[in-house]
Amino acid sequence: MTRNTLNRRRFLAATAAAGTSCLAAPLYAQSRELVIISDRGNPDQRAALTDIANAFGREAGVRVSLNNMDHEAHKTAIRNYLVASPPDINFWFSGERMRGFVKRGLFSDITDLVEKNGWADVVPAMSATTVDGRIYGLPTAGLVWGLWYRKDVFDSNGWTPPRTAEDFLSFGQNAREAGMTPIAIGTKEMWPAAGWFDHMNLRINGLDHHRALMEGRIAYTDGSLTRVTDRWAEQVKAGMFLRNETSYGWEQAAAILAQKKAAMMDLAGFIIYGFPEADRAQLRLAPFPTYDTGIGRYEDFSVDSIHIPSGAKNPEVARDFLTYFYQPDRLWEYLKPDGNLPARTDIDVSSDPIMVESRKGLVGVDGTSQYFDRDTDPDVAQAGLKGFQEFMVRPERASDILAGIERARARAYGPL
Amino acid sequence: MLRTRRSLRHRATPALLLAPGLLLFLVVIVFSALRTFWISLHAWDGFGPMTWVGLSNYAELWGDPQFWVSLRNNVIWLAVFLLAPPMGLAIALLVNQKIRTMRLAKSLFFMPLVLSTVTVGVIFVWFYDPSYGLLALLFHAFGASPPAVLSSDTWVTFAVVFAALWPQVAFCMILFLAGLNTLDEEIIGAGRVDNARGWQMLRHIVLPQLRQVAFIALAISMIGALRSFDIIAVMTSGGPFGSSTNLAYQMYQESLFSYRFGYGAALATVLFAIMMVFIVWYLLRLLRDERSA
Amino acid sequence: MYPRQIPETRPVARLAYAACVWIVLAVWLLPVFAIMLTALRTLEDVMAGNYWGWPDRINLWGNLVAVFTQTDMLRYFLNSLIITLPSTALVLILSTMTGYVLARHRFPGATLLFATFIAGNFMPQQVFMIPVRDLMVSLGLYDTFGALIIFHVAFQTGFATLFMRNFIAALPNELFQAARAEGASPGQVLVQIVVPLVRPALAALSILLFTFIWNDYFWAIVLTQTDAVKPVTAGLANLRGEWASSWNVISAATLFVAIPPVVMFFLMQRHFVAGLTMGAVKG
Repeated sequence: MTRNTLNRRRFLAATAAAGTSCLAAPLYAQSRELVIISDRGNPDQRAALTDIANAFGREAGVRVSLNNMDHEAHKTAIRNYLVASPPDINFWFSGERMRGFVKRGLFSDITDLVEKNGWADVVPAMSATTVDGRIYGLPTAGLVWGLWYRKDVFDSNGWTPPRTAEDFLSFGQNAREAGMTPIAIGTKEMWPAAGWFDHMNLRINGLDHHRALMEGRIAYTDGSLTRVTDRWAEQVKAGMFLRNETSYGWEQAAAILAQKKAAMMDLAGFIIYGFPEADRAQLRLAPFPTYDTGIGRYEDFSVDSIHIPSGAKNPEVARDFLTYFYQPDRLWEYLKPDGNLPARTDIDVSSDPIMVESRKGLVGVDGTSQYFDRDTDPDVAQAGLKGFQEFMVRPERASDILAGIERARARAYGPL
Repeated sequence: MLRTRRSLRHRATPALLLAPGLLLFLVVIVFSALRTFWISLHAWDGFGPMTWVGLSNYAELWGDPQFWVSLRNNVIWLAVFLLAPPMGLAIALLVNQKIRTMRLAKSLFFMPLVLSTVTVGVIFVWFYDPSYGLLALLFHAFGASPPAVLSSDTWVTFAVVFAALWPQVAFCMILFLAGLNTLDEEIIGAGRVDNARGWQMLRHIVLPQLRQVAFIALAISMIGALRSFDIIAVMTSGGPFGSSTNLAYQMYQESLFSYRFGYGAALATVLFAIMMVFIVWYLLRLLRDERSA
Repeated sequence: MYPRQIPETRPVARLAYAACVWIVLAVWLLPVFAIMLTALRTLEDVMAGNYWGWPDRINLWGNLVAVFTQTDMLRYFLNSLIITLPSTALVLILSTMTGYVLARHRFPGATLLFATFIAGNFMPQQVFMIPVRDLMVSLGLYDTFGALIIFHVAFQTGFATLFMRNFIAALPNELFQAARAEGASPGQVLVQIVVPLVRPALAALSILLFTFIWNDYFWAIVLTQTDAVKPVTAGLANLRGEWASSWNVISAATLFVAIPPVVMFFLMQRHFVAGLTMGAVKG
């Protein structure tokens, strides 16, 4: 018994000591160093990033601390750490999600760095990290959205990707007759439904309208949106979509496409994660069908980016790191495992068939938006994601749903 | 002289013992709770300036259809969680035998409580999966087509609560196991002499002695029902279209996804007011029982 | 004992009964088996929707290798111990003191204090996010073990005080009267009488606290940002990809992460049931 007590006491004392010694000690000293926070889910990509960061540390004589968070948690954490204790480099999204932080002065202006390196010439997506003519981040890669299908399935059935709205419905008819679901979609995470809305609105109302809508300048109760919901409801009623789609995540929906139980799916290059390696060579990308020939081809192109918080403790080191990281070969090492298209057009992607498809998907595009939940206020985005998920199940509730999103819009952007 | 010093010590020591825990609790928890109420009177995105809006967040709740859905779901959670104490009691009775391997069985019945909520949620998603889930396999075995319970705005809340019930029953089981070990052998013996059996024995002789445990199990289950949100996040993200959202999850969502901290804080305050009913009920019972003892 | 024990003279009946219990247990633990099976699977198997069948190939080793190479799981594991052990110990100490005073000393406002502890503990934790973050930033503790330890200790002290107060209130009155008659000071009463008697309760409480704190992820996101201080739940989350999740790897990691609470439970099991008996029943 005494021995027991003694052990326990010693143990308590030891843990208490461990606790206090860690209480206030700063985790890194203030020397030449670099703190990075990333949110990469792909282990290979994380490994590539670690290699690049370590190599930079060795060459520049900098102690690099690379911290990775899971993607969803990072969205919460960034709002805490940008205010409380900013790192030197962090990973984020361009567009509206970046603009919110820029407006509060939380990201550094790196326009001079971009100009010095002449990056703007090879990075058309730089516009996505530009606010009022100033640049606040470097685009790393873009997600090209469209309808993916299996070439072998289409060949054996003699199908071609539908080009128009009418094609699309008759294609659905053919797919169903062949025993397949025309469109695989999983809306458990909600965003796939909103992506479908983006396509429909860009095809029916065009880019200017879509931008205005995302920026809160058009009401969701506007008549122009009824045209979208009408056509979309048509598709739902024609049985174009996977049944019980709210039960499935996008991965499961992609698996259904891979298993040849569905004909097409709306996604970006990361579709490969839902596909067994052997089947990936079959993947082809087709643009979303045209709904109005008077309207140009506008697509969602979501750009990920990398930033220097304005509270960074080592901004000069951070700039050195960006320059180092943004060299074409290193950027390619980092992006290669992930399947998303490099933002630099001077990177050769021909070794990767999925990226080749993505790059082809951008040819002939007249203009881009990012993605519903990256383009608009978070409150509106949340209301919209939920609303469009509901719409795909209960299209008859269209007007109530739009009125609900409109309430959020009015809250965020004020009355029109 | 000696006397006053002693009485001083008698009074000062309790205060000193109470101080560290209480201070920490007041500074971190109570202060934060009060700040939350303060935040609920503002419109705030979590890091910009706060704008005073008075009670308008509360007024908005009234007209928010999601709030009423959440409230309804909390009622469902409460109702289903009422099952946790009796189920826990049933398992406790089952394993309360002095047979070899029963002790290991007791420990294993407790396992669900050790798993993190995320894990529990994920497993039950697999269970309900309409194509490959165990539920679907069962339906297929009987030649029926399986329901997609997580897609049904009618059934989804029940499906989630059922998953949350699993660890809760384990918690209750442990409480009742403990209770069964303190039963008064004499009263039980007397009951047996009077030929009380089965249900009658349980109803009239055992349960009255388990009243205290049952009461704690019930209180903890009710609070758990009101507070749960992480399993919803894992299983359905509150969907489809908000139909499995409860108040705690709605608060989480409004604050962290929509960045409406003021509105989220108002939801938290309402949730707290509902909990207050249970807390006061619990305290009154506790104090009354102690006085009568 | 209730229910009536099956007498030792009927070994067949005892065996049959035990068999029944184990069948019920097998159904009860089905979800746990699912995790174990998944930890054995390959990713292809999971992607093909094989959640409940036998794995088509045993890949446990590959999954474990993935767990420890894809994230710095061992460091997270160590971090979790650094956070969880002192937090648990501190809560036990603080709540014994507060529980003792609230149970054994009458003073104005005692009930109100007790109610405050309960009420605070029953709040949904996310409510405190912003204020607690601001507090930790102003204390200079943001992104340190200290921030997590202080929050967990403060929050769990509410629950633990409730538990310990009930337990100490249930101790026989005569003990305290005798001690007082002998002129023992409150401090002496606490050390010499209360502490030895509440050891079972402390064992029980320590398992619950350990499990609660060990499994926390929310506060790890809110209060820390660098890997040097992140707990094991962050490591688990790191295995969940941005686009796709390898459930086979995550399941293997989940089993690994569940080891400390399970070990703790088996070690303390006997104390645990005894502890709850006295604490809960006399409520």
